[in-house]
Formats: sequence, structure tokens, C-alpha cells
Amino acid sequence: MSHHTHDGPITESLEDYLETIYHLINEKKVARVKDIANIRNVRMASVTPAMKRLNDLGLIVYQQREYIELTEEGEKIARRVVARHTILRRFFSGFLNVSDEVAEKDACQVEHHLSDETVDQLVRLFEFIETCPEGREIQRLFHQCSTINPELEPCHEPCRRRERQRQMKESMQVTTLARLKPGEKGMVVQISANGALRQRLIDMGLLPHTEVEIERVAPSGDPIWIKMRGFDLSLRKQEAGGILVAKVVPVDN
Amino acid sequence: MAEKKDFSRVLHIALAGNPNSGKTSIFNGLTGAHQRVGNYPGITVEKKEGYFQDCDCRINVIDLPGTYSLTSYSPEERIARNEILRKDIDVVVVIADSTNLDRNLYLLLQVMELGANTVLVLNMSDEARAGGQKLDIEQMKVLLGIPVVETVGHRGGGIKQLKQAIQDAVANPTHGERLIYNDDLEAALARIGDLLSPGLPADSPPVRWLAIKLLERDQPRIQWLRDNVGNAEDIIQLAEMEIAQLEKNSDENISLYLADTRYAIIAGFMREVRLSEMRRDARRRSEAVDSVLVHRVLGLPIFLLIMYVVFWLTFTAGGPPMGWIEAGFEHLAGWINGLWPAGSESALRSLLVDGIIGGVGGVLVFLPNIIFLFFGLALLEDTGYMARAAFLMDRFMHRFGLHGKSFVPMITGFGCTIPGIMATRTLENERDRLTTMLVLPLMSCGARLPIYLLIIPAFFIKKWQAPMLWLIYIIGIVLAVVLARVLRSTILAGEDAPFVMELPPYRMPTMRAVLMKMVERSWMYIRKAGTVILAISIVMWALTSYPKAPETDAQAEVQEAQALEYSLAGRLGKLIEPVTGTMGADYRVATAMIGAFAAKEVFVAQMGIVFSLGEVDEESTTLREKLKSNYTPLQGFAMILFLLIATPCMATVAVMRRETNSWRWPMLQFWGLTFLGWGLATLVYQIGRLLPM
Repeated sequence: MSHHTHDGPITESLEDYLETIYHLINEKKVARVKDIANIRNVRMASVTPAMKRLNDLGLIVYQQREYIELTEEGEKIARRVVARHTILRRFFSGFLNVSDEVAEKDACQVEHHLSDETVDQLVRLFEFIETCPEGREIQRLFHQCSTINPELEPCHEPCRRRERQRQMKESMQVTTLARLKPGEKGMVVQISANGALRQRLIDMGLLPHTEVEIERVAPSGDPIWIKMRGFDLSLRKQEAGGILVAKVVPVDN
Repeated sequence: MAEKKDFSRVLHIALAGNPNSGKTSIFNGLTGAHQRVGNYPGITVEKKEGYFQDCDCRINVIDLPGTYSLTSYSPEERIARNEILRKDIDVVVVIADSTNLDRNLYLLLQVMELGANTVLVLNMSDEARAGGQKLDIEQMKVLLGIPVVETVGHRGGGIKQLKQAIQDAVANPTHGERLIYNDDLEAALARIGDLLSPGLPADSPPVRWLAIKLLERDQPRIQWLRDNVGNAEDIIQLAEMEIAQLEKNSDENISLYLADTRYAIIAGFMREVRLSEMRRDARRRSEAVDSVLVHRVLGLPIFLLIMYVVFWLTFTAGGPPMGWIEAGFEHLAGWINGLWPAGSESALRSLLVDGIIGGVGGVLVFLPNIIFLFFGLALLEDTGYMARAAFLMDRFMHRFGLHGKSFVPMITGFGCTIPGIMATRTLENERDRLTTMLVLPLMSCGARLPIYLLIIPAFFIKKWQAPMLWLIYIIGIVLAVVLARVLRSTILAGEDAPFVMELPPYRMPTMRAVLMKMVERSWMYIRKAGTVILAISIVMWALTSYPKAPETDAQAEVQEAQALEYSLAGRLGKLIEPVTGTMGADYRVATAMIGAFAAKEVFVAQMGIVFSLGEVDEESTTLREKLKSNYTPLQGFAMILFLLIATPCMATVAVMRRETNSWRWPMLQFWGLTFLGWGLATLVYQIGRLLPM
């Protein structure tokens, strides 16, 4: 909101003027009172006292009828204001999905109506979202969540899957493939094997959500013979022990 | 014909596919008789190549090992993908089992990821159709962007269309462009690709594939990256970040995520092209057969019965031809003898008759048995029964550090070690395979039977003869499993190979395929074992014939004995007598043992010579008496023990050399078993001497 210089606080509108001057200098190399008045949509007469004040504060160099320049201090403050403004604008349009013009307008306004502390934190929030992978993730999920954006297709897949897994683990009987008996069916929940065995199981298509059925067990109890994805597979009990399945109980109608 | 050499071009194609997808029959259908089998360097994996002519081109075909995917966990997969990456491969034909499309397409996706110019073959299409599956082939071509051909491999159906499709692929090559995954994955791949492309050497694999491998944390490729690309560490780090991101998004481990992604594509694809699914009971006939053959109680006895029948058939059906070959060689020997005047001392004649015909003939005489054995095994294999056998036997085999699939080769070894060793090809895991091969000679083979039949009756009364023979076989088996355990705990230690094994439905084998398999393996037996045996036969002949003893007036048989003593072999026998003496074998037995290296049956003949008995065989009572009077039963037993365990015959060494592609393993086996045999025989003899008998 307001910065403190050695002479006292600068008002919001003064900050805005600094920002405008900064932009003008960047674009046109020079800042004139006329241009400032144009951009800010005020009369030249209103600009002048502001310039005087800024000059007194040592933030600009202003002599009547001449171009306005920023001092080092002034430039520093201007940069800061611009940066916050930009971040807020991007936050509004990029994260909150607000339209560009509204974002631009509100970014300007927010600084005048919220305290420093809040604006700082908002800026931090947005910086977090931009840099941290977890943050980007949050943004992504937010944009794709169908509960917030009803036009989107219902239920983003990871959400659904996560929910399903959680429910499965809670409600259904989860056991290992090794413990199922001939005739029983199950749906794979998790594969806790490692290395070559894991790769082999995955390559054969034994993935979470795959349905398996125990066909038989070898005479000595090991290995077991299962049916899955339309073909038959045998594996040792020890290997089957690394595969978690949810027992599928047939529904009697 | 001049045309044979005058091709406009030479093309190279590779055949890839799941095991049991009928790849072999397609390979046979394309190449016919123009095939060649070898080994990949340094690895016990079969390398099958062939060629055919089409449209003025010569097309070389390489039949890649059957694989379920192209990761880097098994030697077969690494070989398959390295071959596909070869710059000179023009087309990769992926052969899929139509009755099992979902899983078979998994491999197709991986081949397309490699950017290979792919053709898809839907094999066993008759079976799939009979099962109720209907596919929209045209739509498949559109979605995949590659040629798709239906075939019936075992009947040769569709081969012509396949050849045409190959030509089409050559004319309009594709590089897996149609394979596009979901947005997240593609974005991650693109980011990795961007960092990857600039630093890649000229002949690198496709960028996208490398990116996928990085996401898979594929160790060989990561190493390759470190060796060949400057900013490898940055790229690897980026890959790790992308992996973390994808894992977070999907709430799944990356390997599952990738597999899921591929299967999701397959599922979507199948929804579009599969007009009707296979009926649930499509495999009911096969299942009915299984309910008997793999029955909880009946399964094992039936299996043992089937094995017994195969071997019985082998030795009875093989008997007469064996006799013919023996007679044939005798006639040959007689004829050659006749070329020289009687009583001639010609070295050449001796070389030809005693050395070559004697040595090589002694091994070739087993050819009929081997051919019949291979026929029986190929028949069982092609029906799909062997997988059931492995399933039944795995528990037993696994306990001893072996694999269910080791059982049949080991049983084969009871007939003859050579085909037993060759039969270990069905073992996918190199360590399992080597272990089985190394201990196989302990399965007392048919050639040692004459030795037992000679020695046992010489020393043991009738009551003990059969049990003794049985004991010998049991000792062999026990030693084999113990040794297997030891090997698997020491030099061949390692992770147990997964037993995860597909059980294909029973299929009627085609005579053509079975016979081709039989001929291929028998030819190998003849050719490679034959060349080494020929060489060693000549060496052995020289050892036992030279230096020539001076003429004496003694009887012919005594002269023979003296000649043997005088020869290099005899001298060697005397030389190693101190060593063999520890197990109770004197120089005469030692000399005979040297001869037995050529082929075990030779032991009996050599013993006959040593005891100045001229020509003998195991029925010879005089030889038995000679043995009885010269040696104690203990010595006899030690002799048998040694011959059971030690010095696998030179044919074994030759085949081991061929199958493992190195001298390391055959030498290890040879010296290891010899030492073991000597050690055990010595132990038994020395301890036996101490016990009051």
C-alpha cells in the first residue's frame, strides 16, 4: 500500500504515478505530464501537484514543462510496484482464470484496498504456485476439477482412481493372490514385487484393476494357475504373494 | 542359376512376437529350408536366421527371441531390442496371437515406440474367428498407420499377403507416428526430448524412445547416455523430475503408470476395432483336456507315464535302425580294410577304420534314438503339453535350485546327454539353463549302461545286481540335485528367475513343424558334435596307436595288449596311475578310461584289449572273470562311481561348447566332474578299505 521514504509515506496514487512514469519511460523513453494525464485519465492539473510531491520526496526529477525522470530511489520503488502488479495480474488471470481486462484493473486496485501484509502473502502464494512442482500440481488440479468447472467432463481420472483405490482398500477384502483358492476371483490392487519379477508381471498385463481367477493349484500346492485377460498364467506361490488382490465375491441374485 | 546372385536389392527384416504366438511357423513359412541356427555371442540364446526371395529382392529374416516386452531385464529382450535398433533393419514384423490380442499388442506398442517400420501379423486368425472374434482390419490399418495381415501360420495361410505387406512397408516406411500417448506423458517426453536432442550422436536411437527409456529408468540406456552424451546428468535429473510429476499425477509408480498407459491405448484401440469378442468358452476343449492332464491327483502319474512312453518308444523304435547303422559302419570298415592287402600295417587304414569309423561311428550309432527322442519331445512341445509338465514339476525342481522346465531335459539325459543339453533351450533364464546343463551328465546316460552291465555282474551276485544298478542311477540323481544347489548358491547364484509362465491352449501340432524341429536338432547333433568328435577321434586313435610296439612272437591278443601299453595312451595310463590308484584303478583301467573319453562304450572295448582278450563286449564272461580275478568288488564299485560322474564324453564337451558359445563352461564341467568323480571314488575306496568286509 504505501511505502515509507525518509520523508513519510507515499500514498497509493503516488505509487500509481510512479508506475505510470516507469512504464512511459520504458516505452517512449520520456515521460511528460500530458502523457501521464492521458494514461491515468485525469486532468493535467491533477497530475502537477502529484509530480511536485514526488519531486519533493526525491523520487523524480521534475521541472515544469520538462520531461520527468525517475531518480534511483524512485526507480526502485517503481520497479517494485510494477512487479507486484504484474504478479497479481498473472495470479488473477492465470490461476483464478479471471479475464485479462478485469485482472488488469483489479491488480491495480487490490494494492489500494488490502494491507501490505495481505498483498505480500498473495504474491507469495502465486510465486509458490509458479515455482514449486507441488504448486503447479495444485493449479493443474484446480483447473481440471470438474466440481469447480461444471463445463468440464465429469471426474478427472486420477481423482476417480484415487477415490476408488481408497474405497477398495477400506471396504473390500484385500488379500494376496497366493491366498485365493481355486474358483475364486479377485481384482489386482497392488503389486509389491520388485525387479525382474515385477517387470515380468507388468509385461504380462497383471496391473491394478486387472481381474484374475484362480483356475487350479499344482499337485504339491505350488505353483498356481490363473486366468487373466483371456489367457492362462502360472506362477509360484511365493511370486503370487507379492500381488495384492481384492476378493471379488459373486453377487447372488 | 544366374538369377540367384542377381538381386536388385537385399533387405533385412526381423520377426518379433510373444512366445507361443506361432512366430516359428511364420518364420518357417517365409524361409522354408533356407534357415540357419546359431548363437548370439557370449549368451546362450539361439540366433535364427534365414532368407527368402520376393520381387527380385533377397530378404534376410532374423527370428528374434520370443519376448513379452522390450525392457532390459532378460537377455532375450535386450537382444531383441538391440537387433531392432540396428540401422540396417528395414522392417520389423510383429506377430501377434489373435486369440490373445490385448497382451500381444503390448509388444507391438513397444516396437512402434522404437520407431521401427512395423508390420502387424494377426496369427492364429482361424482360431480367433472360430472363437467368435471379429476384427475390423481396415480400421486397424487406419488407426495404427501400418500394414496389418491375417495369417494362419501353421497352415502357411497368409504368407503371400505378408510378403506383400513387407514390400508395402519398404515402399512406404512408417516410424510409429500414430502412437500418441496422453497429454501429460507426451508433454514430459517432449521436455526430455528437447534437452536430449542437441547432444545426441548421429546414429542414436529415436529421441522419443530414449525419453521413454529414461522414464523407465532403463539402466543400459542410462549408462549409454552417460557414455555418449555430454549433459547426461542434467537429462537424467530432468527425467527424475518428470517421473516424480507423473507419479504424483497418477498416484502410481512410474512403471505401472507406463504399463497402464499402454494398456489404456490398447483398450481404446480394441474398442474401436473389435466388432465382437471371443466367447468365454472359446477354450473349452483345451480346458477339458487340462482337467484331466493337470488333475490334482492324476496329473503327475499321467505325466510320468507319458515320459515313459516317449523314452520307451525312443529306444525300441530306435533299436533296429541302430543295428542297421552299426552294421553299416561295419561294412564300411570291412570295405575300407579290403582296400589294403591283408595284414597291412598302413597307418592310413588304421586311421580310417579304427580311428574315424570307430570313433565317429560310435557316436553316430545313437542317431536313430536321438531322432526319435527329438520327435517325441517336439510333438509334446508343439501341443503345448510341455508347459503343463513344467507346471507339474516346478515345485520339485525349484527345491533343488532348478526350474520346472529343467525336468524334461534331465529326463532326456537318461537316454543321452547330448539331446538333454540341447533340450535346455526352453529355459529362459541363463543361470537356470547353465545349472541344468552342467549337472546333466550326472543323469547316467545310455552309453554308460554297458559299463555297468559289465562290471556289476562281475563283482556282485545276482541278488544284488539289480539294486546296484538302481543305486548307481539314484546316486547320479542325488549328486545332480546337490550339485545344482551348490552351483546356485555359489558361481551361478542369483535371483531366482520368475516362474511366471504362460500356458498356451492345446493346439494340434502340424507334422511339418514337428519334423522340422526334429530335423533341425538332429542335424545339429550330427554336424557340430560330429566335427569335434572327428577331431578328437583322430587324436585318440593316435594316442592309442603310437608309438608302435616292436613286433613280438606273442599271440595276437597279447600283442594288442602290449601295443596298447607301449602307446602314448598306455604310457599316459601308467603316468596317471598314482592318481587313479587312490581310487583303486591300476594303469590298465586308467588306459581304458582315457579311451572312454571318446565315448563311454569304448571303455569296455578298451578293457578287452588291455586284458589281451581281443574283441569283447559286455556280455563277455571271460572279461568278467578277468575283472573278478584282478580286482576287488570295492575297486569295481569305485570304477563305476568314477565313470558315472567323471569325464563326460567328448560329444558332451562339444555340445556344451556349441550351446554356451565358449570353452569356459565345458571345461569347468569336464574338470569339475572329473575331479568330483575322482574325489568321490577315492573317498569310497579308501574308506572301504578301512572297513572290514
